[in-house]
Amino acid sequence: MRPARASLFAALLLTGAVLQVTVINRLPLPVARPDLLLVLVVACALVSGPAPGAVLGFLTGLLADTVPPADHAIGRLALVYAAVGYGAGLLDDVEERSVLLPLLLVALASVGAVALNGVVGSLTGDPRVHWPTIARELPLIALYDVVLTPFVVPLVARLTRRVDRDAVRR
Amino acid sequence: MRNSRRTRLVFALLVLTAFTLLTLDFRGGKHSPLGGIRSLVGAVFGPIERAVADVTHPIGGFFADLGHLGSDHADISRLQRENAALLAQLRLDVAERHELADLQRLDRLAAIGRFPMVAARVTAMGSSLGLEWTVTIDAGSADQVRVGQTVVDGDGLVGRVQAVTATSATVELAIDGQFIAGAELAPSGQICYTTGQGLAPMSLTVTNSQIHLASGDGLVTFYSPNTGLLAPGIPIGQVSTVETTPAGLPRAALVTPYVNFTALDVVGVIVEPPPPTRHFILLPSPTPSPSPTPSPKPTPSPKPTPSGSGSPAGSPAASPTPTRTP
Repeated sequence: MRPARASLFAALLLTGAVLQVTVINRLPLPVARPDLLLVLVVACALVSGPAPGAVLGFLTGLLADTVPPADHAIGRLALVYAAVGYGAGLLDDVEERSVLLPLLLVALASVGAVALNGVVGSLTGDPRVHWPTIARELPLIALYDVVLTPFVVPLVARLTRRVDRDAVRR
Repeated sequence: MRNSRRTRLVFALLVLTAFTLLTLDFRGGKHSPLGGIRSLVGAVFGPIERAVADVTHPIGGFFADLGHLGSDHADISRLQRENAALLAQLRLDVAERHELADLQRLDRLAAIGRFPMVAARVTAMGSSLGLEWTVTIDAGSADQVRVGQTVVDGDGLVGRVQAVTATSATVELAIDGQFIAGAELAPSGQICYTTGQGLAPMSLTVTNSQIHLASGDGLVTFYSPNTGLLAPGIPIGQVSTVETTPAGLPRAALVTPYVNFTALDVVGVIVEPPPPTRHFILLPSPTPSPSPTPSPKPTPSPKPTPSGSGSPAGSPAASPTPTRTP
């Protein structure tokens, strides 16, 4: 990955991690909150492919595992977001063809991420894993994430194109 | 190179690393070898979260004010600038008024309950894909905040301190899935416990099938069976739905918390346990509610009637010590 792209993604994901805990998680929404980081990981993976997507997801997850007030075993969200980044990256060349693809992808990724998070949590004996609660929150997390997608995915694609152009021109 | 062998190798390596970290951190428990990383990231992001919270704090007031703005587009620039300045002032005033009201309610609770308390503001909220209900507050070990202390706001129980740095602390909320609060039923003094279920009402488990439960009963903290002691006598919530066995005995119930967890702002950390007497003095109002029908819309923040709890704001020694950071 070019350094210009890498610094763009680093800036986006750091900002996303802070916005997630200070603004998004405090929105008075019913039942659940959207996951901006997941949408960002999908957006970055869609423009960079499976291997960079997995690495970006892993690093993002590591950040989300440690930024306060996180209170679970370090590595859990790293695993979940790495899987999300890898999966979304596999579709990196399909992105231009359909507007619906990112929406479907984010919905699928949200469901998969929440479920995987629950599975890994119960494997490590997290007493917070309560499947009826997860089942209640899951559709709304997916819905909120899908609502964020049309704002985040095109923005990331446009910023990436601009950064690439500037790097070539220089 | 899409989905080549190398790509799959990278992914497999990442998964392996994540599992290694998980195992290390999970096995280590409180003395995890990764604890250093956590506190380092906490030390970096704590101040950032506080700075962002300072900026976003007045936003609630801002959105409320937007509705009253006129739609006159012919404003000359001087008027627009003036207007913006005034709005900013107003926005801040609204936020400050909210904060003052919160602080006053907290003060009242602290005075009646005689809790030595440190006031703090919520700066961030966790989610972990819906599994976790935790917040960061802007008071830490420098303000006498320690792990295990009880956190309240003007309405009642907020949670318990889970981790501290010098200037911030992580609080596990009472609605978190692993938060179990020992509770005492207001009319009878019977013991039961509540478990958090996210934004859904808490579940109440009875320890004794002979217990008398009715919707509208108030609950206060008693003790916490598995994770340390909570300060006793803190209002938790109100019984909203009672599920009975075929024989008519209560089996389980739902509890609507008094605290509005999606609008947490000013909270207090009880830095010393209060005297464990005068059980129900802090409940919002004596709710005799004889009707067994579940109240369909419980008030999110019940206003305590002044006559409900007779004790006037206590002695000078009882006043809390709010250490506000600017």
